[in-house]
Amino acid sequence: MVDFARVQKELQECSRDIERSGIKVIPKSEATLARLIGTIPGPVGTPYEGGTFQIDIALPDAYPFEPPKMQFTTKVWHPNISSQSGAICLDILKDQWSPALTLKTALLSVQALLSAPQPDDPQDAVVAQQYLKDYQTFVGTARYWTETFAKKSSLGIVEKVQKLVEMGFPEAQARSTLEAAGGDENLALEKLCSG
Amino acid sequence: MFFKPYTESKICTFYQKGACAFGSRCRYEHVKASRAQSSGSSSSTNSQPSLAVDSASLALPVRTLASRVSLAPLSLSELSASSSPFLPPSKPAWNGSLEDDYENDEVNVGETWSTRPEDRAICSFAAAGSCPRGEKCPHIHGDLCPSCGKHCLHPYRPLEREEHMKTCEEKQKQLEALKRSQEIECSVCLERVLSKPTVAERKFGILSECDHPFCISCIRNWRSSSPTSGMDVNSALRACPICRKLSYFVIPSVIWYNSKEEKQEIVESYKARLRSIDCKHFDFGNGNCPFGTSCFYKHTVKPGSYVWKFHRPPPRRPPPRRPPPRRYDIVPMDVIIHMFEHLEELDDYMFEDLENEDLNPWERELLMHMGLDTSDSSEDEIDLWP
Repeated sequence: MVDFARVQKELQECSRDIERSGIKVIPKSEATLARLIGTIPGPVGTPYEGGTFQIDIALPDAYPFEPPKMQFTTKVWHPNISSQSGAICLDILKDQWSPALTLKTALLSVQALLSAPQPDDPQDAVVAQQYLKDYQTFVGTARYWTETFAKKSSLGIVEKVQKLVEMGFPEAQARSTLEAAGGDENLALEKLCSG
Repeated sequence: MFFKPYTESKICTFYQKGACAFGSRCRYEHVKASRAQSSGSSSSTNSQPSLAVDSASLALPVRTLASRVSLAPLSLSELSASSSPFLPPSKPAWNGSLEDDYENDEVNVGETWSTRPEDRAICSFAAAGSCPRGEKCPHIHGDLCPSCGKHCLHPYRPLEREEHMKTCEEKQKQLEALKRSQEIECSVCLERVLSKPTVAERKFGILSECDHPFCISCIRNWRSSSPTSGMDVNSALRACPICRKLSYFVIPSVIWYNSKEEKQEIVESYKARLRSIDCKHFDFGNGNCPFGTSCFYKHTVKPGSYVWKFHRPPPRRPPPRRPPPRRYDIVPMDVIIHMFEHLEELDDYMFEDLENEDLNPWERELLMHMGLDTSDSSEDEIDLWP
């Protein structure tokens, strides 16, 4: 059973400190505290600057004695984060977890990982290769991905596109229409239906 | 410790210190410290008290008073005063009026009106808080104790004063420590340890190697959590969740410490407590304790036990297999052999199995190999501070 009293405390502490850290954690739904969404700002002075990254958090039953499961839902170009699934390669989320860590400190560690990639212990081999062999291209790609997927206006665009695709529209068309509509899901749907 | 050891004698210690709030209603004997020792030897005054005891058996209400009298020899006048309603006076009358004597009696039975100030008890009302008679009180009012804030220091008994101040200071220190402990939060559940919902949870789990506070249930939970997701038992679970320093045992305590010495005291008294308890694994020489000679518990060899007979511990039984094998063809041969070898001890094993539920086989195995010790066994729930 997840220690919800502790999770509640963590959320309070996190929201109290939001001005300083910029790290936000909110429950995915009213129903349970076991599924949460974390948000971290891209660290200043990195290709991720200016972006806002969403992380899906699932708390295992044994939390806090087991690490929370964290995964980027915002696409990120980073050697230690899968560009496909968003899986994070970070020791404290695995064997170096400690019950004294909290969701906030874990997210802070993820943020620190963004500013200090470890290409020798990669999660995404392609990105790691690029980081080691052609750093300039890596920076360019990472910045482009940040612009495309992690800017405020494009926040959640992936889900919206996914929704439209599920309705039966081709992905490329759904994306372009959504972008034209400024991220407004309903407007894009209207356009798609009329067009 | 908070509690004074229970003393066999029924002598009121408060009265001996000069102030008993119960006065004549006290259940215990009101005897002066100096008299308590000498009362046995002084036999010269015994003729009168023995009379009192005889009469006491006739009338129940007198008995407590009379037996008190017999323990603490009194001046004749006082004795006759207290027992006069039930006894024909053996000596003509008392000095004061009945009312006066009765009133004195109320406040302090068994007190002689000696002229020496150190022999007079101080006013119990003043010592307990405030005396309603104030300035007019016929008794000595004690000096103010700086620690407890009560007028309970006898002005003419320096030894008693010193003793009271010392115990009072100690008590005060304990209270302060408890107050400080109340503020301390567990870093795992993020709650104040001493404000947890159940009494059993309101305890710290002190790590031997570092000074980070946790509640006992949290730290035990962490240390006994099964190493899924690739966590290493030795480097992760045995480590402090905050500083990651390895500790091999956890000490339960109701109070948090402020200095190295205090911690040492807590650890030592905990170990001393365990040393007085027989080890369940050792089982008086019939069982095999995984901690061997470094076990915190007592290993008593009972005559006729395995160790007593063979001078070595009995062979270790195979680690429990879960779920138990159902088909005979998959039971390894050595298990069957073992079963026959210890058929007569089967009952013991079943019993022990239940006890070991909370000690994982891998944990025992590991500790065996490391030759290290832990107190995390089934008997661990002993409180340092009851």
